[in-house]
Parts: sequence; structure tokens; C-alpha cells
Amino acid sequence: MWKSCAKGLSVVPEKLCLLQENIQNISRQQIRTTFILKRRTPPLLHKKGGPPKRLKNKHYVYDLVQDTNTLRQPNIDVILTEYVDGLGSKGERVSVKPYFAYNQLLLPCLAVYATPENIKNCDVIVSLFQTINIFSNKTISVVMNKEMPWTLQPWHVKASFRKCGYHVPEDTITMPTNIIQGPNMEFENKEFFVMVTVSIKIKYLEPNS
Amino acid sequence: MSNSVKTAGAIKKLLKFDKGIGACLPEAYKKFYVEWQVTEPTAVHYIPEDGKYKWDEIGQKVIPVQNIPIPVKFPKEHHQQLWAGEGVVQGFQKRDELSRRVPHFWIPVLKRSVVYSEVLDKYMSVVVTNRAINMIHAHYGFDHYLLKTPACDLKSLLAVGLKRMILQELSNGCPAHANNPIKQKEILDRYTQYLSAYTAEEIEWYGYSFNEACKKMNEILTEKNKPVPLKHLYRAKLIEKLKAAQIEATDRKIESSSSSSWIQSINPFGKKHEA
Repeated sequence: MWKSCAKGLSVVPEKLCLLQENIQNISRQQIRTTFILKRRTPPLLHKKGGPPKRLKNKHYVYDLVQDTNTLRQPNIDVILTEYVDGLGSKGERVSVKPYFAYNQLLLPCLAVYATPENIKNCDVIVSLFQTINIFSNKTISVVMNKEMPWTLQPWHVKASFRKCGYHVPEDTITMPTNIIQGPNMEFENKEFFVMVTVSIKIKYLEPNS
Repeated sequence: MSNSVKTAGAIKKLLKFDKGIGACLPEAYKKFYVEWQVTEPTAVHYIPEDGKYKWDEIGQKVIPVQNIPIPVKFPKEHHQQLWAGEGVVQGFQKRDELSRRVPHFWIPVLKRSVVYSEVLDKYMSVVVTNRAINMIHAHYGFDHYLLKTPACDLKSLLAVGLKRMILQELSNGCPAHANNPIKQKEILDRYTQYLSAYTAEEIEWYGYSFNEACKKMNEILTEKNKPVPLKHLYRAKLIEKLKAAQIEATDRKIESSSSSSWIQSINPFGKKHEA
């Protein structure tokens, strides 16, 4: 028994290449977690278009090519729909073992499969968070005229953003409630808050719903 | 397998559609039956060779590639489980060069797991193989797996039955999610693409075994040609007769009242006599 097992295993690397070739044919979906067998004696050729010849006993002697149940299953990608302790936060794409992913994440609806659509949404979220992070820490200088009178407008802020290398549309900028007018040298080196709306579509934050 | 062989099998197997109640079964069921039993399933237990011809090293000539599938057996229990095309292979093992071949059964490894159908919104505890779970992963969900895979690869009656239920649910507009209209719309958007492959009748007849289909057809036929009890017939006739008789009687009464009979003149209590 053990001898035969060893024999079967020694054949594996050659056959694996064959397997991979077959996997490329997507329409046949060659996913195997089972016994893959091979006839020790191939049956005789039959006539073109005719019925196959009757199998004899010797054609039922099989060699085990591979037992895919004992193979290590590759990790699968999932996108979390909720914060999972020790794994990641909402919208994060993680690669986990298939058994854990199925029983602990996918069945209780804590995650969804990383399908092309779900990945697209996931990317949107990641880039959103990045922009939010950048803007939340940014301090930019708004340079105004010292002699001519002015009132601070959104386009002033837009121009200042542009000088720093950020292209912010004017309608996304929300100015502070109090009106800032100049020239007033007291305002030099003073700070004020400007709100930039990155996305109004908050529902994008939830990849599945 | 060549085409002629496949059709030969079809003819042999479809003979039961020519006699008895089988002849009454609709085309929709026949289509499903061919998809389920006659179509060649995906190779699971062997690796088929690609190409039409190959070079034979021993004979030093070109020979055709003929993939003869390994015969697979399906016990009746597999109809309540999800094996995803796997089956029991009966054969021999040659464990050593000098020892005699020994019979051996290669049996799939089964385990109990849970599958979740998004369309039906149901968790189901079923016995599955690892291959079934992997197929679910590969298709990104149980519903996609059932709807994309042809019946010859699903094989078990449980799987094809669930496929029918899902198709019916989709064609009815997904009533399982009636309390959540947003999710209902999303699910319909995601899965309605699969409905285009089936007509309403095909969905109705999808996923039955031959015996179940015959039973269903029988029920339909008995419902259609329900015998009317004779007592109902006789009652109706009698009522008609009585009605006719009543009309006659009233007619006669009117006649009699118009012309006074000689009995009335004799009657001592008659009104005429009193008067």
C-alpha cells in the first residue's frame, strides 16, 4: 500500500504541468479536489465516429495520479464588509485560507468575494480614504493683495490649492461662515478652516450594499 | 467521445419517452433530460488529452486522440447531497509489480457544511465534497455556481432542484426579499441575466427525475380529465326533469282553474257549493 502511494507521489510534478495546462481552458473549469486516476493500459482505438470498444478488465486497473484532497488549498481573496478583529477594517481586501474564509467570513456575511465589481468599489474606497487623509493634514497658504481691497472667495482657495499641486473644483470648497475681508495685516499667519467635499456618495463606503 | 456515440446513447435512453406516460411529457422536460443525462459531463476523475492527433513514440506514427472517460458510479444517496460531479470509481489497484491486482473503490471525501443561497435567502446544511466548496468559491457564490453550471455537472437531484427553485424565485421577482426592496432590486439585477436561457415552461419542468416528472404529468392529466361522478350527472338531469314537470304542472293548473271540473261541483266543501 505504502509503496504504491510513494509511486503515485513521485509522478506528481510531471502531472501538475498537465493540470495547469488544463486549467487555462476556462469553459471546462478544471477544479479538482478528488482522486485523479489514469488507466494503466489505455483502451484500443476505435473507428472514427464509431462506438468505443468494450472495456476489458485490464482497462479498469488505475494508477492514482493525484489526490487533491491532501493538497494545500490556495488562499482566497475577500473584501470585508465589517471590521473584523485581527484582520482589518471595512472595505479592506484580505487574502485568507479558504476554510476560514468560508466558515468565519463569507457565511456570516462579514465579507464578500473579491469579484471584479466588488474590487472596483473597494479601490474607490481606498483612494477616497487616501485623499481624505491628505487633505485633513494639509495647511496651505492663501496669498492676498496688500493694497487693493478684497473679500476671500472660493476661487482664491482653489488657486492656492493649485499652487500646491491639488486640482480642487470650486463647487467642492465650503468657505468659513465669517466673511474675511482685507487688506488687513492682522490676518497675516492666521489660520482658518476650509471644508473640501471629497465624495457625497457615502453609500460607496459599503461595497456590498 | 464522438458525436455519433453521444446520439446513440440519446436514442437508447430516450426510448422511454416514446411509450406510456413518458410520451406525454413536454419538450421542456425532454430538453432538461438531455442536458442532465445525455450531455457529456466535465472530466473530474481523469485528465483528458488535448488535441486531435498525437505522435506515438512506440509505433512511430500519428494516432488520433480518443478520450474514453473513466466509468463513474453514483449511489442513490448522492441525490440528497452536493458532490459537484464527483462519484465513486470502481476499479483495480496494482499495488506491486509482482502482486495480483486488487479491487478498489475510490470514494469521494464527504463532509457536512452549510451553503447559503442569496436568492432564496436561506442557509442549508448539506453534505458536500471539497470540490463543491471550491466550485462555489470559483463562481463567487452558491447561486452563481448553480445557475452557471449545466445539469450534467450538477448531477444530484438536490442541486438541480435547488436550481429550479432559484429560477422560479427569480422569475417571480424574488419574493424572499420583499421586506427589503433595495436588496431585492440588487439581487434581481445580478441574477436576471441567467433567466434569458429558459422559458417559463422549461423552468417549471427543470430538475425532476424521470419518475418525478411522470408523477407530475400524471397529476396534471388527472386534474385535467377529472371524472365527473355519475350522481352529479343524474342529479342535474333529475333537477331538469323536475323543473320541466313543474312547469307542466303549473301550466295544467292554470288550465284547470280556467275551466272548472266536475269534481269541484261535487265537493261539499268547495267554495262554489257553499255559495
